[in-house]
Amino acid sequence: MSETSKFTDDILTASKEKSRQIVEQAEEEHRRLLAEAASAISNEENQILRNANAEAEGIRRREISEVRHQVKLLEQSEKDRILTSVLDDVKRKLRESTQDRDVYFKYLTRLATDAITHLGMEHVTIHLTSDDLKRVDPTQFTREIEKLMPVKVEISKEPIDASGGVVVASKDGRIRIVNTFEQRLEALEPRLLIEAGRILFDER
Amino acid sequence: MSGLETVKIIVDAEKEASKMLNEAQDKAVEIRQQVDVAIASEREKRLSKARNEAESIVQQAEVEGKAEAARLQKESEGRIKQDLQRASAAHSTAVKALLEIIMS
Repeated sequence: MSETSKFTDDILTASKEKSRQIVEQAEEEHRRLLAEAASAISNEENQILRNANAEAEGIRRREISEVRHQVKLLEQSEKDRILTSVLDDVKRKLRESTQDRDVYFKYLTRLATDAITHLGMEHVTIHLTSDDLKRVDPTQFTREIEKLMPVKVEISKEPIDASGGVVVASKDGRIRIVNTFEQRLEALEPRLLIEAGRILFDER
Repeated sequence: MSGLETVKIIVDAEKEASKMLNEAQDKAVEIRQQVDVAIASEREKRLSKARNEAESIVQQAEVEGKAEAARLQKESEGRIKQDLQRASAAHSTAVKALLEIIMS
């Protein structure tokens, strides 16, 4: 091989090598960018799926939560209905208890003595319902109370607006202890509801 | 071989070498230009698949959620019905107990 041929071969070989490096470098860069993009795309994919799973979990929770809420409302409404029915029956039976003269007379006497004890006075006026004014003998009632405690009792002719029970007032009428059925129901309501809940719904 | 011929051979070789390099540069530019297209295409393909999968996950959750809710509702209503039957059976016991509290 002549010197000239060797020289031109060297030129062409160097050029080929340089060309190969240029293309290889571009291909390497191509692969690197694709790999980086693949990683970024993977992140985007994962984010899309994470969002979807979170949304799916939210949907499931919402469906369950709505049903639980509806069921709770239904349960509460039904319990209220039964509880109201029980309380209505209690009120009715309480009113009916006034028809049993002996039982009611004892109860009325106790309501009166309890109220007098709370009032803590020696002279008191007892107010009864219009029905009780008709069915209760004032002399017997007064005597019964005065027998149980050291007090002077007067029965008012003015009836009270209640379905049963008494209002005991000081002589001047300024202090009154209300011990009617309605007041007892109101005062005992929390205890009654707890007891009813325990018996009806096994609530502790 | 004359000196002139030698110079011509060398110049031709350098032209050939230069052409080779230019072609390599052109190919490198073409390879780089293909990257953006390839990435955009790959991204669209994979994200489209991911979006479809996401939609399917959400739809499946709606179906499963409704089914679970229906099952829970049926189960709860059955339990409430039993509880209320027991409560109704205890009605008169409760009335008696409350009256005793009031009249005690």
